[in-house]
Amino acid sequence: MLILTRKLGEQIAIGEDIRITLLEIKGSQAKLGIEAPRSIGIYRHEVYDKILTENRMSSAIHSPDVSLAEALLRKPRR
Amino acid sequence: MKIETTRFGVMEIDERKIVSMPFGMLGFPRSQRFVLFPHKEDSPFFWYQSLDDPALAFVITSPFLFVSGYSVDLQETIQRMSWEDPESGASFELYVVVTIPMGSPEKMTANLIGPILINNKTRQAVQMVLSESPYSHRFPLFENQ
Repeated sequence: MLILTRKLGEQIAIGEDIRITLLEIKGSQAKLGIEAPRSIGIYRHEVYDKILTENRMSSAIHSPDVSLAEALLRKPRR
Repeated sequence: MKIETTRFGVMEIDERKIVSMPFGMLGFPRSQRFVLFPHKEDSPFFWYQSLDDPALAFVITSPFLFVSGYSVDLQETIQRMSWEDPESGASFELYVVVTIPMGSPEKMTANLIGPILINNKTRQAVQMVLSESPYSHRFPLFENQ
């Protein structure tokens, strides 16, 4: 991992068109400003990870399990 | 046109039904063309089948069948996708990704923080990432039908 030390207001350039600016530091929290092309998704990693995991699990489902799930949903409510 | 799928064999699909995802699904950036079809007639579940990878398909459903008042802010996404003038006759469809643990269908859940938004006018779609959302990524469907 590349580790860089930055002061308030300083930036990091990643390639041609990504800029990360250190905007604010408060205790253990840092506020970052990120400029990047629209095509690049920028996410909080923990949220990204959750969605990725659900996508992977969904893509592993076999058709018979969908039929079973569907049958459960079609049962009348008691 | 005919497409090849691992789960369903060769399928005949209407080309106009193809949805293109410039950024793919999260974790699967290389699959960019998909087609949507119901699991069975009148099923709440749909398959979101990749045309670029025969083995790749997701199970999705409409969030509105399970979550009353489910709503997401589309503004940022519309901007990111350059879907200009969304008011002029654009219509959107929204789906959520379902997981069904093998052998335990009653534990099926839907991911409410990564919905798929389809623009019917451009036939483009994007998986949204809802960072500050009150919704769960494992919303139980069986208990909430």
